[in-house]
Amino acid sequence: MLTLKSCAPSLVLSTLGLMGWANHSFAAAQPRVQLTTTPPMEQVVPGKQPVKLMFQVLDEQGKQVQKAKIHLQISTPSKTPWFTSDFPIVEGTQLLDLEAIASSGQLEVQQVLPIRGNYQLIVEVQPLDGKAFPATQQTLTVSVPEKPVKYINFGILAVVLLGVGLGGGWVLGEAQKTLPGEIAPERVRLLLSGAILVAIASLLVVNIQAELAESHQHSHHAHDDHTPAVESPSSVLQAKWLGDDQVTVGKLAQIGVQLSDRTTGKPVTDAVLQVKAIQNEHHETVFVYQGVPDATGKLTWQQQFFDGAPHTVQVEVSPKAGANRQFSPFQVSQEIEVAAVAPPLHVRLITLAYMTSILGLGLGLGIKVRRSPQFSLFGKQPETQEL
Amino acid sequence: MKSAAINTRSLQERAVRLTLSLPVQVTLYTSVCTLTLWTLYFSSYPPVHDTLHEVRHHTLMVGCH
Repeated sequence: MLTLKSCAPSLVLSTLGLMGWANHSFAAAQPRVQLTTTPPMEQVVPGKQPVKLMFQVLDEQGKQVQKAKIHLQISTPSKTPWFTSDFPIVEGTQLLDLEAIASSGQLEVQQVLPIRGNYQLIVEVQPLDGKAFPATQQTLTVSVPEKPVKYINFGILAVVLLGVGLGGGWVLGEAQKTLPGEIAPERVRLLLSGAILVAIASLLVVNIQAELAESHQHSHHAHDDHTPAVESPSSVLQAKWLGDDQVTVGKLAQIGVQLSDRTTGKPVTDAVLQVKAIQNEHHETVFVYQGVPDATGKLTWQQQFFDGAPHTVQVEVSPKAGANRQFSPFQVSQEIEVAAVAPPLHVRLITLAYMTSILGLGLGLGIKVRRSPQFSLFGKQPETQEL
Repeated sequence: MKSAAINTRSLQERAVRLTLSLPVQVTLYTSVCTLTLWTLYFSSYPPVHDTLHEVRHHTLMVGCH
């Protein structure tokens, strides 16, 4: 059950439906999770800007509960092979799996939602001390609209295909006769030559542009040498990269940093880590999150890199306000190779079949129109006049 | 000899008729257009894919990496 409530500039999704478990031994009422998104979901463009997702754990009075542990899982919309998105490999997979310590009962992440459709957000909330409030799990759904430009572009393509089909049908539909010494009638030869020329021209343009344009670097080769994490020097803390550096689209990658004291080697917990994942080709931020390390000094999470291009994960470490240990903020960054996966063949063939059908429709119409009695007058003299 | 020449000529004429028949011409035309569409929108060949990457991501029902 989902209640939608709009408020500028954010959309508030207040979920009342409880789909999980609850510990009924607690006297206190179960908290509920309220999700606020910026921008509002109807304004979100898939694959473009990160969407700020703010989860607030509220008690029955509407106040944020304190000292909570929030486990967030984001699943992408289910597979749609008959109406594929532009990232078919991402469909029906997990986008994020994150466990956060929310001292103030609030979790905020910024995540690019790569495709249109309904995302499922499973939020599990537990009290840090295990007894302050009953644990709960809620499932929220957010819906991302499709990019309007996609409909426009497909409409243009459909008109072009229909036109190409009509033109072909118009020429082919005329009754042809082979004159002595000719291998094929002139019009057929012209049509075939034209079609082949279009094909050659398209391939030429594509290949010349490909040579001129900077390669998109989507084809990745396996690297034997792992890129080490780059760390800005800090005399106080040491940051160790725990995550993967070679991942694949469609699969969750393990990402993490562990902080320790350079002198004592003990884990550091009184620091704030500002995480940012950047897609390197377009320098676009795809994920932002601010967290604190757990008792072992670790901040770990799993996320999917939906675009098969190199990414960089930057983690800026700064001291917690009011903490005893104060140090100069520093940054750790790790480049991550993301292996692209080609869309499944059957998905591509389905869309190709749609496009060919539009072409075929135009072709059929062209032939029919050309062979209809009123149009045959344009092509040749009617038999009655010949006689 | 004369009979063989007539048979060859007849075969050639039938081949030409078949090639120029509407179903064959329509198939050829459709095939050329479909091949072009595949190359532009679905080919995994890196130079083609890289050049038309943005177009693919901005066209409905076209999957990409």
